[in-house]
Amino acid sequence: MRRGRWPLFTILAFGYAFLYIPVALLVIFSFNESRLVTVWSGFSTKWYAELFRNQQLLEAAWLSIRIAAVNATFAVLLGTLSANALVRHRRFRGRGGFELLLTAPLVMPDVIIGLSLLLLFVALQQGIGWPDGRGFTTITIAHITFSLAYVAVVVRARLSQLDRSLEEAAMDLGARPLTVYLRITLPLIAPALLSGWLLAFTLSLDDLVVASFVSGPGSTTLPMVIYASVRMGVSPQINALATLIMLFVALAVVVASLALRSQAKDRGHRTNARR
Amino acid sequence: MSVAIDRRALEPWQDPSAVPFVRIERVTKQFGDIYAVDDVSLSIFQGEFFSLLGSSGCGKSTLLRLLAGLDYPSSGRIFIDGADVTDIPPYQRPVNMMFQSYALFPHMTVEQNVEFGLEQERMPRRERAERVGEMLDLLKIGELRKRKPDQLSGGQRQRAALARSLAKHPKLLLLDEPLGALDKRLRENTQFELVNLQERIGTTFVTVTHDQEEAMTMSSRIAVMEAGRILQIDTPTGIYEFPSNRFVAEFIGSVNLFEGRVMQRDGDLVTVETRLGRPIQMRCPLPLALGKPVTIAIRPEKIRLSAAYRDDAVNQIRGTVEDIAYLGDVSIYHVRISPDQVTRMTLANIQPQTEQELTWGQEVAMEWSPTSGVVLTD
Ligand SMILES: Nc1ncnc2c1ncn2[C@@H]1O[C@H](COP(=O)(O)OP(=O)(O)O)[C@@H](O)[C@H]1O
Ligand SMILES: [Mg+2]
Repeated sequence: MRRGRWPLFTILAFGYAFLYIPVALLVIFSFNESRLVTVWSGFSTKWYAELFRNQQLLEAAWLSIRIAAVNATFAVLLGTLSANALVRHRRFRGRGGFELLLTAPLVMPDVIIGLSLLLLFVALQQGIGWPDGRGFTTITIAHITFSLAYVAVVVRARLSQLDRSLEEAAMDLGARPLTVYLRITLPLIAPALLSGWLLAFTLSLDDLVVASFVSGPGSTTLPMVIYASVRMGVSPQINALATLIMLFVALAVVVASLALRSQAKDRGHRTNARR
Repeated sequence: MSVAIDRRALEPWQDPSAVPFVRIERVTKQFGDIYAVDDVSLSIFQGEFFSLLGSSGCGKSTLLRLLAGLDYPSSGRIFIDGADVTDIPPYQRPVNMMFQSYALFPHMTVEQNVEFGLEQERMPRRERAERVGEMLDLLKIGELRKRKPDQLSGGQRQRAALARSLAKHPKLLLLDEPLGALDKRLRENTQFELVNLQERIGTTFVTVTHDQEEAMTMSSRIAVMEAGRILQIDTPTGIYEFPSNRFVAEFIGSVNLFEGRVMQRDGDLVTVETRLGRPIQMRCPLPLALGKPVTIAIRPEKIRLSAAYRDDAVNQIRGTVEDIAYLGDVSIYHVRISPDQVTRMTLANIQPQTEQELTWGQEVAMEWSPTSGVVLTD
């Protein structure tokens, strides 16, 4: 039996190595003294210092974070509304079309999303004078169009698992539909809203292709800056930045899962104490 | 159980001038092609413990949901306490429901669950706290007030759900399989508790159950349902002793059925000719045409079984003992009365088993009096 496990264990080890060795290298070389990314010449944090003096990179990072946050918020709002429509109203005119259109961005190539939105924005600008140029607004709108689909999928899954009789019970106890939604439905799907928000935030922070199409001069997002600078030769600054982003994302995930788990854990303790 | 006798003595449904508290008038509910509730009319009186009894999928829950306002009838009207509530949404009906799954809000404590309904009617905080305490005491779950539903046992959840549905002092409480999720022993204790509670607070209860014993124990009256229709509404005694049709007779308890034709009528005494030997005489208040095919229904415990054949017995069928199941207090005898029919009867084991005179393969005579069964026409 032990012998039988060895091949499995080896495969697993290779898998993890494949996934995480590049990441580990990236982190290690962010503390490299040398300018050459592939040659280790001693520990230093100078690239971090330089990173914080790099105005262009910092501005791009701040823009990306703002876009990601606004995008995630709107995507959760609209995605939740769509999920509600799909789960709660079994039949309405155009349901099939709505469902298809909502989930299409999941399988649509980024290039097509980006190009079509660019054409739309240009046409709109010529037609009604809005949006005035391309930048924060157009990138955010573009990101919402595809993030929304992901959020809708996550929230929909949770919503369709929700026991309908909970809402019926609330209504039976005198709560009007809006109260039922705010006091019962929302708290119960909150975990899905949180993961939807984080997912949308990450998707936006990650996007290079769509943003490249719909951004304008003076609105360069972080992935765009990184991509451009890599083409001119990688600076260890990028390693430093990537390390910080990873730290940030890891922190966000940990905080989120702690927040979700704390209630459950809290309950568990109390149960044990009472019994 | 003197209280139960009092309740039966009241019997408002016998009084033609009594005004029903709940009136369901020709209500039908369709889901696509399915008639979940099919042309049901029903009156329930103040203070009743009314049960809807039927097998799974017969439309009991749907009828209850129509009363709660969680579904709306396809046709027909519903009146509660004199008001037409057919089109009133659930949050405006003077009705509360205890759900089959309990539907306790998982993110709230027991206390918050019970308080939820009171908040909705904007009851002042002080009064609310008082009422919550009262409800928790009534159901003896005061020490669980700070727990969340997932920290409760099945029985505790059932109490919390009951407390929540009673908190608003509804005029009518609907209970969907209130004991369905409890294990057998707990269920039996809780049956009596529920009846006592109902008598104490005087609220009209309508429960749904598929368990005939439970319905018999708890109810003032029972409506037996099948495929969306109501087959009979009567007291537990009435349903058991005087089933109005074959389905009810077979659904409640066990019964022996003998088919035949009306041969003669003499007052309310009919003589029925069967293929099983001598004609059978039964009391039957219904006017029956001569030659009409009927079914005679006799409960197993109403039949006397003896080894001795008597010539003067009114109703007698002869057969052979095929099987005896000894259950301690009683024994169940299977007697073959014709090549294609075996009847069951229950005999109390008055003598010790070793001294019983009846054994396998013995020729026996079954006898019963004309008043110990009913004549059914469908
Ligand atoms: N929302 C619904 N949509 C479609 N069919 C339903 C719905 N609710 C109940 N039914 C059908 O109506 C019938 C009665 O259901 P129900 O009232 O739940 O039965 P019971 O409670 O007696 O087991 C069943 O055939 C069930 O499948
Ligand atoms: Mg049911």
